[in-house]
Amino acid sequence: MLDATLQSLAEDAGLSALAVAYHDFERGGGWNLRGDHPFHAASTMKVGVLLALLAAVAEGRFRLGDRLHVRNRFLSAADGEPFRVEPERDAGDVVHSRRGRTMRLEALAEHMVQTSSNLATNLLLDLLGAEAVQATVERLGGAGIEVRRGVEDERAFEAGIVNTATASGLVRLFCAMEEGRELEPPLREKALAILKGQHFASGIPAGIPDDVREQAEFAHKTGSISTVQHDAGLVYLPGRRPYALAVLTEWPKEHTEGRRETVAACSRAVYQHLTSPDA
Amino acid sequence: MPDTPSERLGLRLVDGLELPSALRRVHRPDERVENEHGRARRLPRFFYEVPSWEAALGTALAPHFMLYELVSVDVREDPAARAWPRYVPCAVTLLAAHLEALRRALGATVFIAANGGYRSPAHALDREGEGFSPHHWGTAADLYRVGDDWLEDERTIREVRAVAEDVLPGVWLRPYGTGPGEADDHLHLDLGYALAVPHAAPDAR
Repeated sequence: MLDATLQSLAEDAGLSALAVAYHDFERGGGWNLRGDHPFHAASTMKVGVLLALLAAVAEGRFRLGDRLHVRNRFLSAADGEPFRVEPERDAGDVVHSRRGRTMRLEALAEHMVQTSSNLATNLLLDLLGAEAVQATVERLGGAGIEVRRGVEDERAFEAGIVNTATASGLVRLFCAMEEGRELEPPLREKALAILKGQHFASGIPAGIPDDVREQAEFAHKTGSISTVQHDAGLVYLPGRRPYALAVLTEWPKEHTEGRRETVAACSRAVYQHLTSPDA
Repeated sequence: MPDTPSERLGLRLVDGLELPSALRRVHRPDERVENEHGRARRLPRFFYEVPSWEAALGTALAPHFMLYELVSVDVREDPAARAWPRYVPCAVTLLAAHLEALRRALGATVFIAANGGYRSPAHALDREGEGFSPHHWGTAADLYRVGDDWLEDERTIREVRAVAEDVLPGVWLRPYGTGPGEADDHLHLDLGYALAVPHAAPDAR
């Protein structure tokens, strides 16, 4: 039933590809539609960076209060040539305004997740190393997720070096977070608090009925570029344990309307499926 | 009335060779170091002790340059060098005087980047770099902004560089560019490997 509903949504919206996966902690077990299909990760890769940062904190390598030099200069994963994050294309201007000075790692993580700051992301990725982020993702079960480079690394993109994500991989990462795998309770709470502070609510949260949404919490990360629109995270509904959900969509470049609405509709379909008495 | 630099600055003069071993490991006082070209230099031996961030905020090295601007480092600095009290080579006062002259010539506030003043030889930016840097002597500054102008393009960097060349003929200025030894998002200037030995410093061994 859910399968048919989602397939129908995909066809009606004109999607190039749709993948949906969930794991329900209330009833146990999960489900997926093309859960292993790889997509351009867009900003969902920032979940991996957040987890790797917290893993490094757990290992004692850094503290969240440590400060990092805000410098808009990075080396391409393709050829080592420098590149910058264009402020005009980035979300929020707080991190850009701190160029030359320092910001706390925690604040950078918040900007990376909540306003999807690409500059904050690249700064943290540069500090941690893409290999360390990938290692954390793999340890936590994020098979199919590949973090290979920073954001807006056009040379790497042209060379075919792309960050990828799968719906099932993202769901496993959020399950690991919910279960507190490798994260002591204070760091797990920190991760969830950062994700719950998400500023963009037009995807998964928008699919939940208004009266329920008001009492619900969402620890999630959106992602979009010219051809994809994603949302993935944990949905905390009142009176039940949460479910992890990932909705990944790919679109023809010229098809720019209705993307967020489609992600929300998929979220609604999963919500109805999981909360129906005969599910 | 204070009559020594140390008293005027309110900072204790310290012989680096007397520092605890954890601090000698990161600052490497009086150590002979060599770069990849085989050029040897001797790292600073005498330091001012900076008891706290508040002290760094409140200590003027020159009319328009406070100590904190030249000791701001990030998480890449060795934890021992980030802990308080911190230690900064005495030559940082020479650097501040040069920066003051540059500021006067530019007629605008000169901003120094984090990690762009003194950093220890154990700083992660340098561990895999050229072996040593004038930043380890406290004689280098990375300027990232002058007034409202960000030093992020060739024209702006060249303009500031031209003023620096004119008013500070003795300093070294890193060329603009993206290659090794060049910079494209700040202007690096330094006084070379200058050592400052205050009058009150103990005898050299």
